Amino acid sequence: MKRFIIERNIEGAKDLTHEDLVQIARTSCAAVASLGVPYVWVNSYVAGDKIYCVHEAEDAETIVEHARRGGFPADVVEVVVAEFGPHTATESQVA
Amino acid sequence: MTLTATRPTIYAGLVRLLERDHELGVIRSALAAASRGEGGGVAVSGEPGAGKSTLIGAAATDPVGLRVVRGGCDPLRTPRPLGPFLDTASELDIELLAGDEALTTVCEKVYDALRATPTLLVVEDLHWVDAASVEVLRFLTHRSGSLPLALVVSYRDHEIGPRHPARALLGDLARDDGFTTLALDPLSIGAVEQLVAGTALAADQVHQVTGGNPFFVAEVVKDPDRPLPASVRDAVLARAADLDDADLDVLQLVAAAPDRLVDRVLPALGVDLPTLRRLQETGLLDRARGGLVFRHELARQAVETTVPAGGSADLHARLLAAMERVGMDEPAVLTHHAVAAHDRERAFRYARAAADDAVRAAAHTEAAAFLETALDHLVTDDPRERAELTLELAFQLYMTSRLREAIDHVESTMTLWESADDAAGLAAAHEMVAVFEYYNARAEQARSHADHASDLARSAAPEDLVFGSAQATRGYLAYRRGEYDRALQWNDDASRVAVRMGDDQLTLRSRFLHAASDLAKGSGDARAQLADWIEAARSLDLDELASTGYSNLVSLDVEQRRFRAAENVLGESLPFTVEKDIPICRHWQTGVRSRLHFSQGHWSAALEDAGAVLIDDGMPLAMVWPLLVSALVPLRRGEAGPELALDEAADLAARIGEPMMRIPVHTARVESAWTTGDPDPHVGEGTPDVLASYDGDPALSWAVGDLVVWLRRLGLPTPVPDPERLPEPYRLSLSGRHDEAAAWWHRTGDPFAEAMAWGDSEDPAHRSRGVELLDRLGAVGTADRRRAELRRDGIATAPAKPRASTRANPGGLTNRQLDVARLVARGFTNAEIAERLYISPKTTDHHVSAVLMKLGLGNRRQVVVRADELGLA
Repeated sequence: MKRFIIERNIEGAKDLTHEDLVQIARTSCAAVASLGVPYVWVNSYVAGDKIYCVHEAEDAETIVEHARRGGFPADVVEVVVAEFGPHTATESQVA
Repeated sequence: MTLTATRPTIYAGLVRLLERDHELGVIRSALAAASRGEGGGVAVSGEPGAGKSTLIGAAATDPVGLRVVRGGCDPLRTPRPLGPFLDTASELDIELLAGDEALTTVCEKVYDALRATPTLLVVEDLHWVDAASVEVLRFLTHRSGSLPLALVVSYRDHEIGPRHPARALLGDLARDDGFTTLALDPLSIGAVEQLVAGTALAADQVHQVTGGNPFFVAEVVKDPDRPLPASVRDAVLARAADLDDADLDVLQLVAAAPDRLVDRVLPALGVDLPTLRRLQETGLLDRARGGLVFRHELARQAVETTVPAGGSADLHARLLAAMERVGMDEPAVLTHHAVAAHDRERAFRYARAAADDAVRAAAHTEAAAFLETALDHLVTDDPRERAELTLELAFQLYMTSRLREAIDHVESTMTLWESADDAAGLAAAHEMVAVFEYYNARAEQARSHADHASDLARSAAPEDLVFGSAQATRGYLAYRRGEYDRALQWNDDASRVAVRMGDDQLTLRSRFLHAASDLAKGSGDARAQLADWIEAARSLDLDELASTGYSNLVSLDVEQRRFRAAENVLGESLPFTVEKDIPICRHWQTGVRSRLHFSQGHWSAALEDAGAVLIDDGMPLAMVWPLLVSALVPLRRGEAGPELALDEAADLAARIGEPMMRIPVHTARVESAWTTGDPDPHVGEGTPDVLASYDGDPALSWAVGDLVVWLRRLGLPTPVPDPERLPEPYRLSLSGRHDEAAAWWHRTGDPFAEAMAWGDSEDPAHRSRGVELLDRLGAVGTADRRRAELRRDGIATAPAKPRASTRANPGGLTNRQLDVARLVARGFTNAEIAERLYISPKTTDHHVSAVLMKLGLGNRRQVVVRADELGLA
């Protein structure tokens, strides 16, 4: 499975209430369960008028299918090619 | 990656577009024109599978900078009001809420959105369109000249009958210079040869089996190694032959959703991604408009036929349950599935909700269809509930000019009110039938229902609104028959109840009737009063009442020959009937305008308006003058005998029974007999009867004056009571002062009456002048008759008959040309005219040239100078 970052444009996303998020999460989980292929919803972040999601699937097409079934936009879908953080600073420069 | 769903480019990649170069060129030049700001478009027609979508898709691949917005119509039982516009609202960057917008607001919003951005707007499958969308499309078509818009529509011609809502739009498109209609032919054998090249298929055999249908050919070519299928259905089903039962079941579910199987319901239906992938391998499905769709309607229909008998209700029930689970809010779609699932309770509930949406959107055709569905599925023990729903349906039927059905439905409630023991309800139903029967030109029935309503209401609640209203209706019918005393007596009852109940509407109704009968009888002050009450009704939003006021005011203005005033009223009132959606008044006032144009010598415009009323045969009351106009114009032009239209007008006028309509029909018979020289038995037999209905009533004095003058021309001078009380021009004619009569008609702006008055004179110079005027009007038939009289009397000074090729024809201006001519006469430039009439500068140039040619004038200055005599001031 590959990891993807999904950018969803949702005007007023920052104003979504906790109840809204519960509702959205239920819809999303139902969409995941309906796919019949391996799929992991890792986490999502609400920021301004966007929601950024981290999902894992075999390919981008499956990510898009999940969005369709949930009725969510998926304006940008990009595969994550590398992950790094503070710990990376201590690693050797030669892989 | 974006998720903006576009409709599929159907099998475009699979089969080359053959034998469509001309069609492609036509669409491309419409796109190029739109990108230059000259709007217009193309209507593409063809049988299913003819390649309409493919052609449009191919043209749209290079939209020359235009934004592409594609909408479509769906084969639902009853279409969703404004479906294509609701689907494309976000692409057009406008907000439309189903059922929340007045139609005029929707038109304005779409218009503004299209004015701002150059656009290719595609609306496919008009044979399934809803009536409200047709109105929006017509609104756009009329203004397309000034929009950077290419409108491309597609339809199956043989599925659009004369009463189909799209028919009027297609008529507009056919008449509009900016639009082209393309009919797609089947492929030739040569094209089929190119497509099968490289396969083992024999071109002539494929051509024979497929009839050259591009979709069918493409299906065959996709699988060249299979045996040649005998039908489109076989070709499609061959592609699904390898599916197992579970997958076929899902395919059938998609086929049961004629608009689209919305993606959001897939989880609720348990359709997983591997299943979808297998189904997509058949090449039958696509993703579009937020759902799963068949690539082609023919494919959907083919799959639908594989559902075993009795299995379809189960499919629809599953779809419905899934849609409810995800909270889908499209009552029109839910109604479709509930009905097909035989689920009475839901079918009623959703149809009721869909009807309410449709009523709010002024989509009356769909509102009536949904109410009919609701009524069919209503389960209740309460007769009142059924009766009320039926009356709602009747009202919507009336709003779509289906009067006969409306009346039948109201009558069907009578037993319901009786079993509910509701006398007031029963009285109101009788009053409603009275009004509809009157519009239906069955005055006797109208009268008896109004009387009955009044009796019932009087015994149930004598001083209540139902009684007051019944009396107002009775009074109105009596006023129309010319029985003023009775009208005012019943009207007093209405007025008393109105005061007692403090009811504005009934108060104004009674005041209207008072002012209108005073005006009919010739009182000068009554006109201002009637106009005041109309304003009062408008300020209270009593739109139907205000509109009825206009209808009465303007027909009296024309009857009493106040043409300028009538023009002003119609300029205000006709748009009002459209904006407020009051069909009976729109028909009536269009009929009045037909008569007005006719009197002013604008005969082509008169015929155009007459045709508009007659083609929609739902409102017989409004048809008398349009019939007379369509009889008399050809008679005067020397084109055709008017007998049929005259007989029809006579029957209609007899049914309506109003002298103000019967007399002019009789006069038309006299004119016809005089013009053709053919004796008409109706004239001799009918005249005494017609005149007997006149007892010096001032309201009828114009109609009688006209009749008497025509009878004289026919050599049947007839005494009338109080000739000195006839209107001035007739008094002048009857006393032999023909030149003064002619001058009177000249001032009033009735060139034909003027010409006839000159011709009545003994003076040869006057008589020649009359013939000249008739020539100028294009009144060939009448002029021939006058020339024959001059020859008979040995007068040699008659002007030479004009040659057809050089004859100017001011009466030949159409409504549109008349609009243009009036603006030219007021000194507007072409650019200003284009802006005011929402047409392109090019179209304006075209109209101005046509106007000058028909007026026989060399330049626009002459139009300004002679505006008055041309009836353009």
